[in-house]
Amino acid sequence: MTTELFNEEFKGVTGQLKSYVLRITASVQDAEDIVHDTYVRALDKLHTFREASSLKTWLFTIASNLAKDNLRAQKRWVENVTDICREEALANPQFFGEAMQIRTESPQGAFEIKEHIAFCFTCISKSLPLEQQLCLFLKEVYEFKVNEIAEILDISEAMVKYYLHTGRSKMIHIFDGRCALINKEGVCHQCSELNGVFNPKQKFQEEAMKIEMVKEAESGGKEHLFDLRMKIVQGIDPFESGAAVLQLHHLEHNRNVMEKYV
Amino acid sequence: MSIVLHRSIVKIQTTKNIMAQTGKATTEKQTFSRTTSVSIDIHAARAIAWKLLTNAPDYPRWNSGIISIEGNIAASQVIKLKSKLAPKRTFKLKVTDFEAEKRLQWGDGQGSRIYTLTANGNGGIVFSMTEKIGGLMFPLYAKYIPSFDQSFEQFAADLKKEAETIQNLKK
Repeated sequence: MTTELFNEEFKGVTGQLKSYVLRITASVQDAEDIVHDTYVRALDKLHTFREASSLKTWLFTIASNLAKDNLRAQKRWVENVTDICREEALANPQFFGEAMQIRTESPQGAFEIKEHIAFCFTCISKSLPLEQQLCLFLKEVYEFKVNEIAEILDISEAMVKYYLHTGRSKMIHIFDGRCALINKEGVCHQCSELNGVFNPKQKFQEEAMKIEMVKEAESGGKEHLFDLRMKIVQGIDPFESGAAVLQLHHLEHNRNVMEKYV
Repeated sequence: MSIVLHRSIVKIQTTKNIMAQTGKATTEKQTFSRTTSVSIDIHAARAIAWKLLTNAPDYPRWNSGIISIEGNIAASQVIKLKSKLAPKRTFKLKVTDFEAEKRLQWGDGQGSRIYTLTANGNGGIVFSMTEKIGGLMFPLYAKYIPSFDQSFEQFAADLKKEAETIQNLKK
């Protein structure tokens, strides 16, 4: 593959790579650094790329290895990350001051429920063991096949299936117990709380019912609701969406809180 | 004559093994001990069954007989197990044998349990579990220990179901 062609194809994958690494690390800075390092490493090793797999698979392999190195020394987050970070945010007037400024001034400062669902998934997925989190994102969001994930993570297909199944089961269990959007008894109402703060004139229930996962909450099975949740995550680019700056500010806050907490 | 006899013995043993792999538990009682065993065919990769058997916090999700397992299931580690068969007790068990994807053994002063995974020749595995409890005082308290047969059969069935579900995930 020529450098010119590589550059062109890399550009096409950059958005996905960047969002993937962001979702794994929860750090904008790390996502940018790792994607940059992926480019440098891939270009350096381009002569070894045999095209047995797709360039996208190869780039995700490099990025995953760099992300794993980056995360090795870090502890995993906790299931109730959003509760802990909520308390910290409420005790920190600066956080809401900055968020309000983003909301009013930034072209990417809207608050949208779907965006918050995707953000929330990123935070809670960091409570999974890393292998489960990686497999889940690669399959459910970036649509890699099991054999491609096995190649990316250098593990057997059996292990990919194991991590996928256990990661998915755990996330379904967590959201079923926590998310008030799909379970009336759910303990987390942050979507509606924040919608009230950032979109005070909006009727939350009406807005929420536009989301398929919420609409089907009572009739849909847990597996189906999880699939719908993953569709939401899949449809959002955390760097490019209309709510990106607000959600990235929120994510940065949660990362700082978790780094001190865990 | 001896060849015929030998063939008969082999046939009986083979039949016994096949029957044993259906997931039906058997218990052999002796004066100072009791041994319960179960074997079942599982159509899944050995690595999957091994992961399920050695991931302590994940047990309650798939194993209907386990309330919790605390600790790390690895060589020489001590775990704390709570089972539905005796929910008020916490068993402190030491992992005494740990051969990856083949054999796992844990136990305490009263007994030990062995898990083995072997190839079944059809691309799947045979899962076997044996627990021997006993000691010099065993005759005194034997009648207070419930039968393990049902819980063994349930354990094997749960493992089979979970491992095969994972094996059959869409590619």
